[in-house]
Amino acid sequence: MRKTIDLERVPTLGSLYAKALGDRVKELLPGAKTSLLVLPEVSHRVAALRPDRDQLVAYQRLMGDTVREELPSVFVHGLVFPVAMSVLVRDDFPLPLLGMVHLANSVEHFRPISPSSELEVIAYATDLREHRSGTQLDMVAEVRQADELIWRGVSTYLARGVWLGSKPERVAVSHDEFVPPRRSASWSLAADTGRAYAAVMGDYNPIHLSALSAKALGMKRAIAHGMYLAGRTLASSAPHEGGYTWSIDFATPVFLPSRVDVSFIESVDSTRFCGWNAKSGKPHFSGTIQRL
Amino acid sequence: MSAQSDTPAIRQAVIIGGNRIPFARSNGAYAKASNQDMFTAALDGLVARFGLQGQRIGAVAGGAVLKHSKDFNLMRECVLGSSLASDTPAYDVQMACATGMEAIGSLANKIKLGQLDSGIGGGVDTTSDAPIAVSEGLRSMLLELSRARSTSAKLKAMSKFRPSFLAPNAPGTGEPRTGLSMGDHQALTTKAWNITREAQDELALASHKNLAAAYERHFFDDLITPFAGVSKDTNLRGDSTIEKLGSLKPVFGKSLGDAATMTAGNSTPLTDGASAVLLGSEAFARENDLPMLANFVDFEAAAVDFVHGAEGLLMAPAYAVARMLKRNNLTLQDFDFYEIHEAFAGTVLSTLAAWEDEEFCKNKLGLDAPLGAIDRSKLNVTGSSLAAGHPFAATGGRLVATLAKMLHEKGSGRGLISVCAAGGQGVVAILEAR
Repeated sequence: MRKTIDLERVPTLGSLYAKALGDRVKELLPGAKTSLLVLPEVSHRVAALRPDRDQLVAYQRLMGDTVREELPSVFVHGLVFPVAMSVLVRDDFPLPLLGMVHLANSVEHFRPISPSSELEVIAYATDLREHRSGTQLDMVAEVRQADELIWRGVSTYLARGVWLGSKPERVAVSHDEFVPPRRSASWSLAADTGRAYAAVMGDYNPIHLSALSAKALGMKRAIAHGMYLAGRTLASSAPHEGGYTWSIDFATPVFLPSRVDVSFIESVDSTRFCGWNAKSGKPHFSGTIQRL
Repeated sequence: MSAQSDTPAIRQAVIIGGNRIPFARSNGAYAKASNQDMFTAALDGLVARFGLQGQRIGAVAGGAVLKHSKDFNLMRECVLGSSLASDTPAYDVQMACATGMEAIGSLANKIKLGQLDSGIGGGVDTTSDAPIAVSEGLRSMLLELSRARSTSAKLKAMSKFRPSFLAPNAPGTGEPRTGLSMGDHQALTTKAWNITREAQDELALASHKNLAAAYERHFFDDLITPFAGVSKDTNLRGDSTIEKLGSLKPVFGKSLGDAATMTAGNSTPLTDGASAVLLGSEAFARENDLPMLANFVDFEAAAVDFVHGAEGLLMAPAYAVARMLKRNNLTLQDFDFYEIHEAFAGTVLSTLAAWEDEEFCKNKLGLDAPLGAIDRSKLNVTGSSLAAGHPFAATGGRLVATLAKMLHEKGSGRGLISVCAAGGQGVVAILEAR
């Protein structure tokens, strides 16, 4: 049973990144010892989160969505993300937050959520497991309104080069050659796309802000937030009349500025989508939206 | 009479005549003319041709696709500046490139219902005198500043200024929901229907030859009023050859590589211009001793889901025609003229291919048999948008006036109009000769 730790309010991401940076420096100091890879048995909880309508409108404008009386699923993710982050930067959390790679998201959006809702948010880490390039885990966030579970998101992260046991033999993985399908849309992403998303959702992770700050963390240029890409996709395709689930897998980062071509293939109750670099044809992301 | 058997007898709406100014390539002869200038010119030319100075017309309806915010009452302002009686009501219509068709069709309906005795429908567009907006950042800041009451609130609003706000926003031709230009959308459709480069270039060449021949025989003498020193569409290249068109490089669908076939020659250029069509009841025409060129029989709009790739952006008219034919108990071959707007040569050829395709007609249109092929010698016989140009909202008026005159010249038969529009829409219409 996880111990629930109540947070008075949703922490700011800035303070969490500051702590993560500090931790990163400590790890690099001589004598830093590797902690055991065990996830803390805790959930962080914010009892009453009230969405801010100005922030909601700013988000909807950024994504090219319509201002509606409901919270977009990726916006909900953005609201609860700091609570999840607060788990990742705990002193007893065994993996370094900065440098972790965002692999995938899978979200159950059980019903439309009113912007006037008071939401209870619980976040915890689970399912530490091997990945061919290191160790991956799931960050789970659950959103309830009056005890009814209305949104549940699982974000999968990879800590590269961190191993649960001994480093496994390198196994050659065969990738199917990606052939871009017929494009349905084309997104022109400006150099400030990361800054614009950060200004709305508060996610000032340096890898998204500028070429310089991204380089400091080993990226050749700033990259688009995965949740920005998911947000654009859902703004175009999410249903509004009822619940749905969606998932997205990230293949390669979108270096900014960039042009991303996107394909949507609709069937009766689902939409499959994928995005790729318009120039090189390299895949960036793919996923599905499924009506409940 | 039309074959609308399930509706009570209604009176005819007749096309009396039309007028347009020559269409001019963007940033050319009309670079400094506004939408209001151009539509007023087309309107005044129409009024003069039919001696309607000082008369009250039932309504003037039309619009522009690219509109300044100051043009909020564009049609009414044009009427006030025209020689029509100033108690002529007017209203703006906007349905992208189908604006003119929707305006004219709605007026025809009102005439048929007896609500109006006369109407003028049309449209105008300029891509030269285009509206340029301030950036979203500057706009938000200025709006917040205007809402601010206290000095500190005003200062706070002003503190949000960034130098990047000074970059202006010009209107683009991209679809808002996909970010793809209309040409890039059509390139997907052109490829899906395997339309060849040669077929597109041939259609473009025919458009120029036919338009040039129509000018040659003075067909447009009573359809066009010169404007700003221009008396003929400036995009017309009567001396174009298949070799010249074949030498142009693809400009749309370049991501398709070798499969890219759409060039500046087989796509319409950005154009400025205006058109207007006079409609009335038979009684109105007789009382004013005006000609009756054709009946406006019926029109139909359709829309398709292009956003998620289920259908091509400009394929809606293929659907609209199927529904309209059924309602009127007609086949696709029951026409003497086909006016299919040439947004791109690929649009016309994809639409024709779709009507001939068994699978498309069965699965998409729900028909037992394909609509079939048309006699290509009846297609766009006095040229179309590839040669004349396409000032978005003005194209409907050009088509209706041209087709009505052709039908009247022939003295019998029917004509079909098909116009595709942004947003996956389209409007089609049937005219019959008088």
